[in-house]
Amino acid sequence: MILPIELLIALMVWGTLVGVDLVSLPQMMIARPLVAGTVAGAILGDIPTGLKLGVVFELLQYDILPVGAVRYPEYGPATVAAVATAHAAPGGGVLGLGLGALVGLVTGLLGGLTINVLRRVNSRIVHAATAQLESGDPRALVRLHVGGLLRDALRAAFVTMVGLTLAWLARPLLSGALTVRGALLLAVAAVGTALAAGASGTLRLVGRGPNLAWFAAGLGGGILATIWLR
Amino acid sequence: MATVNGALARALLRLFAVQGSYNYERMLGVGVGVAEEPLLRDLGNGQYGPAVARGAHFFNAHPYLTGLAVGAAARAEHDGASPDQIERLREALCGPLGSLGDRLVWAGWLPLLSGLTIAAIALGAGWFAVAGFLIVYNIGHVALRWWALSAGWTYGARVSVALHSPMLQKAGALLGPAMAFAVGFALPLAARFLAVPFPRWGQLAAVVTAGLVFLSLRWRSDRLNGLRVALVLSAVALVVGLIWQ
Repeated sequence: MILPIELLIALMVWGTLVGVDLVSLPQMMIARPLVAGTVAGAILGDIPTGLKLGVVFELLQYDILPVGAVRYPEYGPATVAAVATAHAAPGGGVLGLGLGALVGLVTGLLGGLTINVLRRVNSRIVHAATAQLESGDPRALVRLHVGGLLRDALRAAFVTMVGLTLAWLARPLLSGALTVRGALLLAVAAVGTALAAGASGTLRLVGRGPNLAWFAAGLGGGILATIWLR
Repeated sequence: MATVNGALARALLRLFAVQGSYNYERMLGVGVGVAEEPLLRDLGNGQYGPAVARGAHFFNAHPYLTGLAVGAAARAEHDGASPDQIERLREALCGPLGSLGDRLVWAGWLPLLSGLTIAAIALGAGWFAVAGFLIVYNIGHVALRWWALSAGWTYGARVSVALHSPMLQKAGALLGPAMAFAVGFALPLAARFLAVPFPRWGQLAAVVTAGLVFLSLRWRSDRLNGLRVALVLSAVALVVGLIWQ
């Protein structure tokens, strides 16, 4: 992947914003893969690739219910890295989809790990500042909070940078070695798993109550629409 | 009045970053303290410091509804409630605000709009669908944050009245079925959208993979998740792809 420096900077900034949005600020859902991927595609002048990988990672995201302190992968910066990889893959299209998904999955795993590390670091810092917090000093409180925000921004920038580095490495390491059939296998694995994770995650939300009938009705409608589109 | 509105506006802005210092010791507590602080500034000298300290104690709930606790606790401080009463109020709100927010937002509003957006993209709406998702989602998001903060400030220690609002009950009853229908509708369209460029054998392989992975995720949901399965399958596909030249 050889991109002009201004595009790389734009992707870095976008990936960082997306990473911060997930938990810290302002949770307006630019961290959703649909949005992260589409905007990354727009930055690269390749919106169709952004939409495609956005849908793949959005379906994978259905597998996650971010309740309490649950640990989960981070698919926002991962989608940005995935789109960068797919855009640069020779031939793009299906070939890019598989390679992009692979880079995105690894970046998503890393993102999830860094979120956990950050929370542990924050815990130590907050624990060390207990006396200041109990004194009711508002400046200490705000300083602690802003520190957390800045650490999350650094974390998001780091994850995006690693993701873009993987995207840069994917072309020389994998594109040359993989045949069209091999790249297609990667794409099949990603798409199949994403669809399964989407269905499984939704069924977990829907449960066995009356909403299951609504899910079945929607599924039927979707199948009819798919047949009609043929 | 203008002072209260200004303080509420500052608290609302700070609530957008309520999870900025999320940690396993106080969870959202520090962020809640930061958001509550503007509403405590007109307390007397002896009250302000302890109230700020209480505001930063352990708290965990859905981030969009945390404003309810911020507003209610700040109002209770102004109404002269005892420290014990305020601590109990905060503790009592964690569970209900968490479960209500999860049901309304994470399991309702968000997947509903996400499903509709995926369907719209698959039907050819392109980036317009994504822009629509962002706008519509955030109308609901900001409205919910504002409602939570103002309801908390209005009701104070009687905030449970707000939690039984008919509007919330109706929204919960509508969002569940709507979400289920929307995502169900989106899944086949997403499959078509993603697999159309594949050759016939690739489409068949994707369907078989989806079926097998779905069964394994349902069967071993305690051990497996989408990311792990996707990474393992990608590794296998990569090795096979490198060998099968």
